Amino acid sequence: MINVISIILGKAIAYLSNVLNIGSGSTWPGHIALKLNPNFIKGILKNSKTKIIVIAGTNGKTTTGRLITSIIRESGKTYLQNKAGANLINGLASALVKGVELTGPLNKDYLIFESDESALPEVLEQTNPDYLICLNLFRDQLDRYGEVNTIAKNWQEAFEKLNSKTTLILNSDDPQVSFLSKKTNATILFFGLDETNGENNLKHGADSIYCPHCLHMLDFTQVHFSHLGTWSCSNCSLKRPKPELSNLIYYPLPGTYNKYNSLAAALFAKAENISFKKVIRAYKSFTPAFGRQEKIKYRGKFAHLFLSKNPTSFNESLETIKKLHGKNLLIILNDRIPDGLDVSWIWDINFEGILDKSFNIMVSGERCYDMGLRLKYAEIFTHIEPNLENAIDVTVEGLEKKEELFILPNYSAMLDARKILTGKKIL
Amino acid sequence: MKNNQLSSYTLDANRYSLTIGWLYPDLMNTYGDRGNIITLIKRCQWRGIKVEVKRLNPGFNHKQLTICNMLVMGGAQDIQQEIVGEDLKKKNKILKQMINDGTPGLFVCGGFQFLGKYYKEADGTIVNGLGIFDLYTENPGENHPRLIGNIAIKFNIDILRASDSESRSSFSTSSNSKNVIIGFENHGGRTYLGKNIKPFGKVLKGFGNNGKDGFEGAVYKNSFGTYLHGPILPKNPELADHLIKLSLIRKYKEFTLDPLDDTIEKKAKDTILNRLKIQNSPNSS
Repeated sequence: MINVISIILGKAIAYLSNVLNIGSGSTWPGHIALKLNPNFIKGILKNSKTKIIVIAGTNGKTTTGRLITSIIRESGKTYLQNKAGANLINGLASALVKGVELTGPLNKDYLIFESDESALPEVLEQTNPDYLICLNLFRDQLDRYGEVNTIAKNWQEAFEKLNSKTTLILNSDDPQVSFLSKKTNATILFFGLDETNGENNLKHGADSIYCPHCLHMLDFTQVHFSHLGTWSCSNCSLKRPKPELSNLIYYPLPGTYNKYNSLAAALFAKAENISFKKVIRAYKSFTPAFGRQEKIKYRGKFAHLFLSKNPTSFNESLETIKKLHGKNLLIILNDRIPDGLDVSWIWDINFEGILDKSFNIMVSGERCYDMGLRLKYAEIFTHIEPNLENAIDVTVEGLEKKEELFILPNYSAMLDARKILTGKKIL
Repeated sequence: MKNNQLSSYTLDANRYSLTIGWLYPDLMNTYGDRGNIITLIKRCQWRGIKVEVKRLNPGFNHKQLTICNMLVMGGAQDIQQEIVGEDLKKKNKILKQMINDGTPGLFVCGGFQFLGKYYKEADGTIVNGLGIFDLYTENPGENHPRLIGNIAIKFNIDILRASDSESRSSFSTSSNSKNVIIGFENHGGRTYLGKNIKPFGKVLKGFGNNGKDGFEGAVYKNSFGTYLHGPILPKNPELADHLIKLSLIRKYKEFTLDPLDDTIEKKAKDTILNRLKIQNSPNSS
């Protein structure tokens, strides 16, 4: 009964916040439902046949979630998913409040939940998922999340409580993520990338370069980016496990990081016995999630949004834009709470190694002078315009006929830019 | 905005060179600390001073240290610090000698803690430090919050005046806004200074060494220890220049640094000073 009240109240709040346009409708209803009944989530999920998929990792959660929903749709099944950004426990509860009928269990085939790194242990405890996908672990918002090793340790402890009902889909190419397979009773599946680019040197900013078992320096015969690659330890003979899935005939988005996301989602499909044909069909009609390589038309020109929120995602955005022959960049740096207050990480971006003087660069955002300074020390010429609207307008006006603008914002900056480009708010 | 400093150096400067020893770059670089190295390199190069950076990773030959004119060390995660701690033990003697002899150095966060007597971890384990700085650090346990946030400190000129005559350089002679240093701190350990060491500065906004006594960092001879990331040098170019100048004076006896255009540096610094509601007035000393 208490859950019925929670749901009614939650739905009413969601409705009101939507009508009154006061935002945060994606976390409030769940917050209240959990206040009324701390076991709200468990109660809803207990009697349902819905399969639960939890997605975790520093980079790629939203895109992977969207790839999975595209596959589920293609296979004619139904799903419920948390709103982007609402990835703490109250976001999960909110998704349930909105998606569930007043009486009876959850009536969908799948529940997909993108989990914040720090919330994952609690999410696992509440949901006991059928699938848990771990994409990667990179340094990100150290002031908020703590260090990579701390997160890995907390995950390890949470994974020890999983049983074989859960299929754990892990990235074999991330040493620390693949090592999470060692102390759990969950069923393990690995995805990785089997291709060579001739690179076997780690670049600056790689995090997990020491053996997660014995702390000896790892050897890499292939590095895709950061610390992802074919690795082994010469001291304790731990090595990259052989992945079940390591290449696809079609990838829906450019960028090596998106190959990993595509492989992870496809491996889930394989485990669910969804045909490979359906996966490729879903991928061929795939449109990106907001801000993740999203293309928006603005004043007759195209602007691409490449969410770039930590050193690894920034480096990979730059590499991908370079491959797409993008020359006009707008970098936007904010330091609000969802971004992390510390902008030190911009000094770990490899501007020197990726960009050259042929790029036309504008920087904006609340910490635009920090970014301008970073680029000054990379000896790359930049324009600085603190006012974002002006920065967008000036760069768009400066584009030649067929040129497109590539925007690299961090999280809140992406929301700001998107609002200007589309003329509306999204969250 | 153009880096036209490249053309401003005199040919004469070409005969000057510095070797910077970067201690454990593969391990102690968690918080963008390499920005400090980039800043030192560029601010030398823009003045025509040649720079070589020695990347000193675990297992390096200690003789490499002796050719360094300046030492830089950043912070890291616990596991990395354990690996570094083991390696540092073997270099303790030579490091101590260099720092005592007045080799300029910048030691941030973990690097700062290593120079002290010991570090007591959250679980009570004591990790011995190098004992070069008269200080110790204790992590009060997981129930105590980390000290995180933007920080501004007032640099105490008198410290430098007192330390030794060589140090009376850019800080004391330059005019405006040279006394406030800004950064971002993020540390669980609380550091307490002993009698034989002076603080790097006084906390204006933020936590500092332990969140209690109002002090930040430590200065001993020409070595600076601090919790300030950001990284510290790009937005505080006067400190970067101070380290460069100290190193050059030690090597060449006399040296005057050409000024550089620090407009963006100043604006980036002002962004934080405004956030912290600190007026960066020229007469603040």
